[in-house]
Amino acid sequence: MCFKKQFFLLLIFAAALGFRVTAQTWVVPDDQKAVTAPAKFTPAMQKQGEQVYTKNCQSCHGLPGKDNWVKLVPPPGDLAKEKAQKQTDGEIFYRITTGKVPMPEFRNIIPEDDRWNVIAYLRTFNPKYVQPEPSAKTAFTGRIVTLAMQYSEPVKKIVVTAHEKLKDNDKAPAAGIEVMLYVKRFFGNMQVGDMKTTNAKGEAFFEFPADLPGNSAGNVDITAQVNDPKNQMKATPAAATLAIGVPTSRPGLTETRAWWSTRGKAPIWLLLTYTLSVLIVWGFIVYIVVSVMKIRKLSQG
Amino acid sequence: MTMDDNKLTFDKITSDLTHHIRINKGFLVWMGFLTVSLVACLYAYSLQLRTGLGVAGIRDYVTWGLYLANFVFFVAASLIGMLISAVLGLAGMKWITPLTRIAETIAVSFAAVAGLVIVSDMGRPERLAYVFIYGRPQSPILWDVTVIITYFALSLLLLYLPMIADMAILHRKGALPSWLKGTYKCLSLNFTDTPAQNRIINRSIRMLLILLVPMALSIHTVTSWLFAVTSRAGWDSSIFGPYFVSGAFVAGSAAVIIAMFFFRKNYKLQDYITDLHFDNMGKVLVTVSLVYLYFNINEFLVPGYKLQRADAIHLTELFSGKDACMFWIVQIGGLVLPILLLFFRPFRKPLPILVISIAVLIAAWFKRYLIVIPTQEHPFLPIQHVPQNFVVYTPTLVETMITIGPFILVLIIITLISKFFPVIPLHETAVEKGVEDV
Ligand code: HEC
Repeated sequence: MCFKKQFFLLLIFAAALGFRVTAQTWVVPDDQKAVTAPAKFTPAMQKQGEQVYTKNCQSCHGLPGKDNWVKLVPPPGDLAKEKAQKQTDGEIFYRITTGKVPMPEFRNIIPEDDRWNVIAYLRTFNPKYVQPEPSAKTAFTGRIVTLAMQYSEPVKKIVVTAHEKLKDNDKAPAAGIEVMLYVKRFFGNMQVGDMKTTNAKGEAFFEFPADLPGNSAGNVDITAQVNDPKNQMKATPAAATLAIGVPTSRPGLTETRAWWSTRGKAPIWLLLTYTLSVLIVWGFIVYIVVSVMKIRKLSQG
Repeated sequence: MTMDDNKLTFDKITSDLTHHIRINKGFLVWMGFLTVSLVACLYAYSLQLRTGLGVAGIRDYVTWGLYLANFVFFVAASLIGMLISAVLGLAGMKWITPLTRIAETIAVSFAAVAGLVIVSDMGRPERLAYVFIYGRPQSPILWDVTVIITYFALSLLLLYLPMIADMAILHRKGALPSWLKGTYKCLSLNFTDTPAQNRIINRSIRMLLILLVPMALSIHTVTSWLFAVTSRAGWDSSIFGPYFVSGAFVAGSAAVIIAMFFFRKNYKLQDYITDLHFDNMGKVLVTVSLVYLYFNINEFLVPGYKLQRADAIHLTELFSGKDACMFWIVQIGGLVLPILLLFFRPFRKPLPILVISIAVLIAAWFKRYLIVIPTQEHPFLPIQHVPQNFVVYTPTLVETMITIGPFILVLIIITLISKFFPVIPLHETAVEKGVEDV
């Protein structure tokens, strides 16, 4: 249709204009370009990648191969097309990991495995693609730590215990591990207390606030994580749902009648005021019109 | 009064007030001009319908452009019907009689077209009904639609009811084409000036006047809430309601004065719309302007004193930045100077006050622009990664034409009403002058 074509031309024009203004090249360092996937792509990985793509990428990049990406500035483009596909796996991985406004940085949103899975999925749209040799894994030499967590009633504290795997596959308490505790709130995780370091027994104690609201049963979702900003360890966090919050049953903000709710959930007093005002004023108007119509009958001569 | 009331007869009044009701060359030329202009504007609108709102300069940041500024202006201008007829009328001022119909005509035409103006801002106008079907009672938009329709109905009735008696006179007296006489007969509802009929009309008018006051306050207050219920700099104000209402009276009074001038000249109504009326309207205009000035001082001085972050950006642009030129011309030329000049009687003579009123009306339009647009150019989060035309709003030619269109439509409606009906209430004037139909 003519209307559509013109509209899109306009959008593309706008986008092009924007590109000129804000175009900054998105360079990937050479060593990152050379990075390859840790394993050969399998159909299972591709399938998993499709899910990750649908959830995280499709909203901007559209369906691969369909060129229906959202008209942003700079344009996201179709990742099944040449421009994206001619890049190395390492290049794409780097872009997903770091992002560039308006594309989000997925470093902390999508786990590394899944980032590779998306690439596996995207490569299925490129028949010419031949996967380079997966990077041989160098043996990991850092500490391998697993956290566990429980609530200790006598001391009224959350006890996080860290264990580490030793060379001979034995387990031993891990001392000197920096641990942080989070409780899940409406918009994400909230840190509880300060960071603690595990003692010789691998234990860290967290005081839990007595007034923290939980769900109607008082349950709160708590996670413990190792503080490892330089990625030197392999750490498995601990998660638990504990009934140590204050039982709270507060309806969600959109579940009650309110200004900001949907039409069906308008405040009663507002509905009444609106309806009554309309009825009263229009009642008068109708009354006036009806009585004016009587003038015709009242004429003489 | 400049004229000798004793010499007045009913026939003279009738002929004075109705002689303009005929189709003459001037009327045809004027209507032809308006129609051609309207067609040009409709063509612009057809472009927008086919291509989408992209033909206008509005983009992601400034989504409310000329159309919304225009809408606010139209709602403002329509408010005058309430000030003249209801406030001054209920207060018992007799001098307004010859002006009531002019004020109501302006009210009806601007209120009717205001609804269309808002439709021009819709990307999918065919979904207009959804505003009602899916409207949320919590949203000022639904309230606005409701009150504007109601105000339009009230104003239309208030224009019509005092006309019933006039229609009866016209039907009997005038040497007019039969189709026109037929229309008058139909509209006159067979009015024969019986006490019972007059009682109904007078009571209905009184009811309308009383209803009109809260409704008129509502339409402009609710229109102001479309802005004031958001927390953006320049809109986040608790005095927006009275600020808008008083501003509306300024625009409306100016519009009435301009209309008075042209009706008086073209329809030779010098004996009815006298210098005294201009003098009084000048006093009305200066009074409402003073009130408006008072609200302006509050609206700009208080946030300007605190200069909180977002306000600071917004106000700096207005006071000394990109919009400063328009801002100061509007504030001084459209408000301060008119007030100073209108304090003096010579400036309330017809010609000077016409010039002042035109300045006031134009300034009133640009004031709406200043209220609507700059705020959107200063969002809380910085504007980035967008094309230049998203950052600064520039109205396009097509958009300007679509904005002019409603004015032409208003002129057409006012012309038609004033051409086929007495501009000055005939029956009422006769009764007030004590000359009865014999
Ligand atoms: C908020 C919208 C958005 C989301 C969500 C998004 N991207 Fe992007 N993406 C963009 C934009 C915009 C660009 C272009 C950036 C540039 O060129 O500066 C882009 C560029 C890219 C590129 C480089 C393309 C090229 O042709 O050079 C890749 C690869 C990419 N995105 C992958 C992804 C993947 C995989 C996901 C999901 C995990 C994703 N993007 C999610 C907006 C998005």
